[in-house]
Amino acid sequence: MAFYEQHIHDAPKTFLSKYIFSYDHKVIGKQFLWYGILFLGIGGMMALMIRWTLAFPGQPFPVIGNFLFPSTGGVVPPDTYAMLFTMHGTIMIFYAITPILIGAFGNYLIPLMIGARDMAFPLLNMLSFHIAVASGVLLLAGLFTPLGAAAGGWTSYPTLSTLIGSPGVGQTLWTLAIFVLGVSSTMGAINYITTIITLRAPGMGYFDMPLSVWGLGLTAILNAIFLPVLGAGCLLLVFDRVFGTAFFLAGAAATSGTGDPILFQHVFWIFGHPEVYILILPAWGIVSDLLSFFARKPAFGAKATALSMTTITILSTIVYGHHMYTTQMSPLLTQSFMTLTMTISIPSAIFFANWLGTIWKGSIRFHSPMLFSLGVVFVFGLGGLTGLYLATVTTDLYLHDTYFVVGHFHYTMAASVLLGGFAAIYFWMPKMFGTMMNEFWAKVHFWITMLGLNGIFMGMMVVGYAGMHRRLYNPFVYEFMERMIPINTFVTWSAITMGLSQIIFVINFVHAVFFKKEKASANPWEVGTLEWTIPSPSPHYNFKEIPVVKCGPHEYGNPNLTGDRDFQYQTEELV
Amino acid sequence: MNTVMSNTTLTKERVGRQITSSIAMTVILVTFSMLFASLLLGFTVFRLTSDVWPPMGFERVDLFLPTISTILIAISSFTFWKYEKLFLAVNKERKLWLGFTMALGFSFMVMQAMLWSDLHSKGIYVQDGIFPSIIFSFTWTHAAHVVVAWFLLFYLVPTLKEGISVEKLENRVFNIGKFWHFLGVVWLIMYITIFLF
Ligand code: HEM
Ligand SMILES: [Cu+2]
Repeated sequence: MAFYEQHIHDAPKTFLSKYIFSYDHKVIGKQFLWYGILFLGIGGMMALMIRWTLAFPGQPFPVIGNFLFPSTGGVVPPDTYAMLFTMHGTIMIFYAITPILIGAFGNYLIPLMIGARDMAFPLLNMLSFHIAVASGVLLLAGLFTPLGAAAGGWTSYPTLSTLIGSPGVGQTLWTLAIFVLGVSSTMGAINYITTIITLRAPGMGYFDMPLSVWGLGLTAILNAIFLPVLGAGCLLLVFDRVFGTAFFLAGAAATSGTGDPILFQHVFWIFGHPEVYILILPAWGIVSDLLSFFARKPAFGAKATALSMTTITILSTIVYGHHMYTTQMSPLLTQSFMTLTMTISIPSAIFFANWLGTIWKGSIRFHSPMLFSLGVVFVFGLGGLTGLYLATVTTDLYLHDTYFVVGHFHYTMAASVLLGGFAAIYFWMPKMFGTMMNEFWAKVHFWITMLGLNGIFMGMMVVGYAGMHRRLYNPFVYEFMERMIPINTFVTWSAITMGLSQIIFVINFVHAVFFKKEKASANPWEVGTLEWTIPSPSPHYNFKEIPVVKCGPHEYGNPNLTGDRDFQYQTEELV
Repeated sequence: MNTVMSNTTLTKERVGRQITSSIAMTVILVTFSMLFASLLLGFTVFRLTSDVWPPMGFERVDLFLPTISTILIAISSFTFWKYEKLFLAVNKERKLWLGFTMALGFSFMVMQAMLWSDLHSKGIYVQDGIFPSIIFSFTWTHAAHVVVAWFLLFYLVPTLKEGISVEKLENRVFNIGKFWHFLGVVWLIMYITIFLF
């Protein structure tokens, strides 16, 4: 029951109020989408430079190398390499994946899927985007400082990130940028949580919400609780760097009180582990919905899926120690964190089995969003299973900080979330922009991306298992690594292929948004959730009449359907 | 409540907006609590791992100024509460109590500034080790919030006008009030942990 009435406002007329300072959740969602895609491009280019260096050490980066690194004739210099992986990780996590999944789809989907006219606090929503832009500027500004941008890893552990490890302004800007982005995301989270609680259409109970909204809502809760923890860490780090406090200074212990570098790791991972679920939960929700939509079957055990996601959300707050097994934690603690981490497998297995249950014996339509969703099932399965090796203390002591870890976390959060994001873009394109993307090229994009991803990340896990350490400029100076040049070259070629295939996506996307004449119908995928009951693209007030919800989001092939379709709109009553 | 709300009725719409606003404010206070809780976690770690406290031969901070600050901020919470009551009753005296709150908030800030300069005059600076780091950084962070909250009090000036609609302004008053009380509680916790213990 909506707690109060949202009135229909007049459509904004000027360019500024329509596209820049818009209060409309749909426009803000699209702003976040463009923002995320832009940063995805930047972060992707950085990944290619890292990979190039690992496959062809000492050779100039093609085409733009000479322009970027004139002093070395186009070769990525060692300190720049550290900067590249740091900025790549940071950009991908905070400035690409977060804006696309949470900023864009969170904003776009939550009001539409629960039958509201907008977020509960539109002004806050607008500010959230503009603060995110300010943060992006702060981050990129680091690239133009004399010593370059941050280079202490996306985890920015002291002492790499204190003045001892990073004397330049870049690290300070990085820390401020993350802090500011945290403020922006927290503002978003406040909006999402309040909107979901108070603005659901009449008749929509929590279990009538699409699972996408569940995922986004749980993410918002984690964001609201844990971003401030990272904020506190960033604040103290800035104090250390700017005002000379001693929180994370190890070397200062002898002369003036005891600082503690490991403290930052605790603070970082108290936030950091929930953060990986912050990234994946929206994708899980979206995929759970899409699998049902395209298998033309009810989501198997939808309630159990929602509850396992909730359980995982809760458990995710108490397992962070598995990132710190090698910091001389007491065995009692490592064993406890290991056990807690393993416990997460139970709800994960439940909802993963539910995914398989959903597609089992479905009459699957292999449209592009479905292909990407099935891709998520595959890569997340792999990523999740490899996590068990890292959760186990004994195996992690060997695997820690190798490329196995890099492969694992890319499978879980890079590959899964990226594929989930693409699925969402292809799927909601007609509602967002009023046109469909070209299906043929979407499929080409899928297959190249899917093969590329697996080439890259499987390769990473193999070399990691063989002992290749992460964050090394040139691992091949070690003798045992020399024989791993060919497989690293293979990984790099996979990355280049995958990178190039994204051009297909960009062209397809830009064409559909700006040039395509042919309009999409109101409900091209034949889906029953609320956003498909209104025209495409959705009008600025969303719903002329606030809908009344009478059934769940996944009513397919139900013998009690009322119409002559194989699905039911949520506004229709089952017999 | 009935007498307090007498000038307007409690419609479903109005209650809905009150609940919505208080849900959002709860989330906001949770986020700020986590921020300060993380700082206190840091303090706890340093405190527990150090044999003597304060470490490195520092003396405890003289409790005189922090105690006055505590008293000031406690009274300011009371005056705000009084103002809120009078606002709901559309009583003319609300002006006075909001004024008291602003004055008390300002004197709290003056006390903090005096605390910092007192420490400086004793030759204790923020970069002198973990103990001063904690004292200065935590009080700075809290003070920054108080400054923001103090300016937010001016956002309540429109509630002092004649013939206001309580319904339109009430959530603003409730929310700023909650934030103000919250900062008082945070200060009390900081007073007990980093100054007393
Ligand atoms: C699909 C194309 C991608 C490729 C080829 C790629 C490649 C790489 C490489 C080579 C590294 C350096 C590993 C090291 O030396 O330790 C790295 C690090 C990293 N990547 Fe990616 N990546 C891709 C996408 C992503 C995405 C989408 C995300 C976001 C979730 C992501 C998150 C990270 C993180 C967090 C790091 C760690 C950075 C650090 O060590 O501080 N990557 N990636
Ligand atoms: Cu973790």
